[in-house]
Amino acid sequence: MLRFWPLRRAVQAQVPLTSLVRQSSTPAAVPDKLEVFIDGKPVYVEPGTTVLQACAAGGVEIPRFCYHDRLSIAGNCRMCLVEVEKSPKPIASCAMPVMKGMRVKTDSPVSRKAREGVMEFLLVNHPLDCPICDQGGECDLQDQSMVFGSDRSRFTDVAFTGKRAVEDKNVGPLVKTIMTRCIHCTRCIRFASEVAGVDDLGTTGRGNDMQVGTYVEKMFKSELSGNVIDLCPVGALTSKPYAFTARPWETKKIESIDVMDAIGSNIVVSMRTNEVMRIIPRLNEDVNEEWISDKTRFAYDGLKRQRLTTPFVRGQDGNLVATDWENAFIAVAEKLNEVSGEQVAAVAGGLADAESLVALKDFLNRMGSEALCTEEIFPMDGAGTDLRSNYLLNTGISGVEEADVLLLIGTNPRYEAPIFNARIRKSWVHNELQVGLLGSPVDLSYEYDHLGESASELEKLASGSHPFSQLLSSAKKPMIVVGSAILQRSDGAALHAAASQLAQNLRAKSGCGEDWKVLNVLHRVASQVAALDIGYKAGVDYIRQNPPKVLYLLGADEEAITKQDLPKDTFIIYQGHHGDRGALMADVIFPGAAYTEKDVTYVNTEGRAQLTRQAVTPPGLARNDWKIVRALSEIMGMPLPYDKIQDVRRRLGEVSPNLGRHGDVEEANYFKQAQQLAQLVKSSPSNEPLSPPIQSLKDFYMTDAISRASQTMAKCVQAATEAEKSKY
Amino acid sequence: MLSSVGRNIIWTAKQQFRSLHKTSAVCSDHMFVHRDTPINNPDVKFEFTPENRKRADAIIANYPDGHKQAAVIPLLDLAQRQHGWTPLVVMHAVADMLKMPRMRVYEVATFYTMFNREPVGKYFVQICTTTPCMLGGVGSDVILQAIKDNLGVKVGETTKDGMFTLAEVECLGACVNAPMIQINDNYYEDLTVEDTNRILNDIKSGKMPKPGPQSGQDWRFASEPKTGLTSLTDPPKGPGFGVRSDL
Amino acid sequence: MSKYLEKFSRMRTIIADNGGLINSIKTIYRTDELKSGRLVGEDGFGNKYYENKSYFMGRSRWVDYSLAVNLDYDASQVPPEWHRWLHYIADEPPTEAQLVKRKWMINHSENPTGTDKIYVPYSTVKPKVQAWSPPSK
Repeated sequence: MLRFWPLRRAVQAQVPLTSLVRQSSTPAAVPDKLEVFIDGKPVYVEPGTTVLQACAAGGVEIPRFCYHDRLSIAGNCRMCLVEVEKSPKPIASCAMPVMKGMRVKTDSPVSRKAREGVMEFLLVNHPLDCPICDQGGECDLQDQSMVFGSDRSRFTDVAFTGKRAVEDKNVGPLVKTIMTRCIHCTRCIRFASEVAGVDDLGTTGRGNDMQVGTYVEKMFKSELSGNVIDLCPVGALTSKPYAFTARPWETKKIESIDVMDAIGSNIVVSMRTNEVMRIIPRLNEDVNEEWISDKTRFAYDGLKRQRLTTPFVRGQDGNLVATDWENAFIAVAEKLNEVSGEQVAAVAGGLADAESLVALKDFLNRMGSEALCTEEIFPMDGAGTDLRSNYLLNTGISGVEEADVLLLIGTNPRYEAPIFNARIRKSWVHNELQVGLLGSPVDLSYEYDHLGESASELEKLASGSHPFSQLLSSAKKPMIVVGSAILQRSDGAALHAAASQLAQNLRAKSGCGEDWKVLNVLHRVASQVAALDIGYKAGVDYIRQNPPKVLYLLGADEEAITKQDLPKDTFIIYQGHHGDRGALMADVIFPGAAYTEKDVTYVNTEGRAQLTRQAVTPPGLARNDWKIVRALSEIMGMPLPYDKIQDVRRRLGEVSPNLGRHGDVEEANYFKQAQQLAQLVKSSPSNEPLSPPIQSLKDFYMTDAISRASQTMAKCVQAATEAEKSKY
Repeated sequence: MLSSVGRNIIWTAKQQFRSLHKTSAVCSDHMFVHRDTPINNPDVKFEFTPENRKRADAIIANYPDGHKQAAVIPLLDLAQRQHGWTPLVVMHAVADMLKMPRMRVYEVATFYTMFNREPVGKYFVQICTTTPCMLGGVGSDVILQAIKDNLGVKVGETTKDGMFTLAEVECLGACVNAPMIQINDNYYEDLTVEDTNRILNDIKSGKMPKPGPQSGQDWRFASEPKTGLTSLTDPPKGPGFGVRSDL
Repeated sequence: MSKYLEKFSRMRTIIADNGGLINSIKTIYRTDELKSGRLVGEDGFGNKYYENKSYFMGRSRWVDYSLAVNLDYDASQVPPEWHRWLHYIADEPPTEAQLVKRKWMINHSENPTGTDKIYVPYSTVKPKVQAWSPPSK
């Protein structure tokens, strides 16, 4: 019953159903709408809508190249010309607001001829190299010339001068440019300056000599640069790593979720012959709109390198020897049988999925151990991780668009969560969001008030003596985002408590309703929220204090705990998909599956559970992670009570119901209680600068086992390092 | 029967010819991307002189807050007058001064052809060869040839001593006194070959010839008739002329 | 009646030619048939070749594979010079008409299909996934 959202809301909010019914039965006030006629059919639209949008509302798709929903209107491609009655010329529908009683003819001879003419002019200077063009098959120009173009060519090259040719630009290792194909729609330029906030692209020259580029040779230094590939309606901007590898009609598209950061961007994985060919974004208005970061898009070649394809067992000589599952399981089972249950501990890394997390927790609990930790630290003092509101991005990613003042504490969202940063920028551009940053002064691609670097400024903010606090206290919908990086510090609890105190004060002052959340935590790894929901302890301090005999690393590659922290005879099991730092210290390695190879749940920093879909099979002997744990439990003679993924999901639902509701955000509450508990934190923050570890673009590309294995990302680091030295 | 065969032959023959004329696309001889050269690279030093700095501040003050970027064209012009041409560092200096992205300045500087992104001589001779100048007076072709002979350079070239650069331009808006040339900021109109040679020789010898129409120079200011004014001979009337008295 | 006597006596001869009852049963077990004939020759692998013209054409020449291979006998164990006699391509066995041994001829070997010497074509395609190999100490 709870899957049906109106009922669920009603039950949770304890609102009598009758009130819901009453609400829906009262007629809503009809806003003043204009009546326009699209091909004779009346359509009612808001004033200020463009003719093109009105046509879309009327069910007619107008061809376009330069117009894009999320970018400003340029009106320079002229493809969207339509005839309007009583207008002497066809009008550019993307730039023309509707007027009352407008009669638009989208398929009249005038409109058709106008389109044909525009298409002819575009094709005069567009090379006919579709067979060698990477955009072939998903090219707007190709499609629209088929539908709206003339059926014959009048192009004659009597002077043998050839078509216009433009030299290609080198804008870095991700975007390949073939500028002769450019039709000057300026989408990439508008994306760069509006969404990415990097004014690197522009048009130079005029008339026939106009070209899109950077004028000087420089890298397109943005963490969102790959999106211009999707935006480009022709093959002028294509993906360099994907160049000449596959055609869109050969690939199978699998809708999945990204794990490179804690945003959980929705992606489409293109697969051909059991190989991930590329990753492109999928529309989700609540999460990533239609953008994804470069790491999400291009780190996929890391999935094909440094993979664990077979189990390993450390031999007598101290070398890891490839073996089969049976031997590996027996080696582990012998060791586990030697020790008692509480001498076993587990550490979960940043890429672990909810299913394997819950399976490992159930397994260790059955063994008699409670030592399950995550690599990422979260302060356990005060309310700690007991209240979800403490560790979620409560306002939600799209919630930034409603906020009016945003305070960032010790975070660099541009590189920790580029998609979230794009939202902040959107709100900064369109809603005049005021941003204050407490931490290292970094380039966030928008302007902000730098409030200082040390935690003492936070106290000043709370007491109201800081210049920014006036703005904060006048905010109607304030928002505080605490970066998870600074919570890793020893004074993380104190910082969190101070932020929580400030949030509570702001809430009282602002008079915002109960549904507006003020305090937010921005995580950096995909698994953290799920792990905390399931009941893992945040941070490995517990393991450090109670050294285990057997340590189970579930994809833990960040070296939160190293061999030096453990007694010499500790037996380490590593389960994961890459031969990275964790695998090096292991005694037994179980090869697991990466996020494109399994159907599993990830929870993003908002608390939104989302499902990945299996695109390719795990390589070699590698297996789905929860199945490995399940198989080990069987060998140990205490089989976990689930055989199918549905059973694991049921178990997930028992542990935390939100993990079973995919695509939904389970809102957290109890801020007041959390704040009361936070007052128990007696320590005070130290005065070290609140500097997040990722400060510049070159640090952004390689952050986890997958991106560290990726050659594309290595090239990006190199290019970004060189670009920093560039004089342009 | 025979007539239909004939029609078919004519029809087929017609298909071989298209009623379409196409001239090759004309492209600029300038590049619209930057290439580092010894005289044009980001390490070249450029700074506004204190005097120009003051002038720049005055120009910027003309524009309201939040729209200071509108000063980009006057500032680029100021910088070009100081430096002689507009290399990359000049664009950078203007961008820094107006706190705007460099790319936006590049866009402006490459759009307007009067920003010389290549060095030009001390005297920049621009000859209009658009239709009215080509047809009016002795015709711009003759003048162009005279300049080429006098300076010994072709269009687009600079003399060896770096004094003159010759460029062919489109209409400069002095059609009524065609043909004409522009040397730096001055228009020389109503040209003959002798006038052209005199002007160039005067400049070479360090004199500054009088700009404007070259015939009737003693009394003509602009495009008045050579035989004297035939209308508008009275001094201009003041405000309120011919207006109803009750207004 | 004499027909049956004749068959019986032929059976006795064949059994005797094959070295007694026990050996005959072993031969049937190994080759699924029992024949007697003139030993024409033996090749280098230990295969023995027989001929008995009283069988009709097609069954009148046969090979008794070497005991060394036991039940793993295979038609490709017959070398080519015997193959041509066995299949009635030639009238004379190689014991009578030696084939010219040319220098480019290689020694005969049996078909390795199904054995561990089987030929496996190597992949010319780059592996899709590059596996991690642990560093050795």
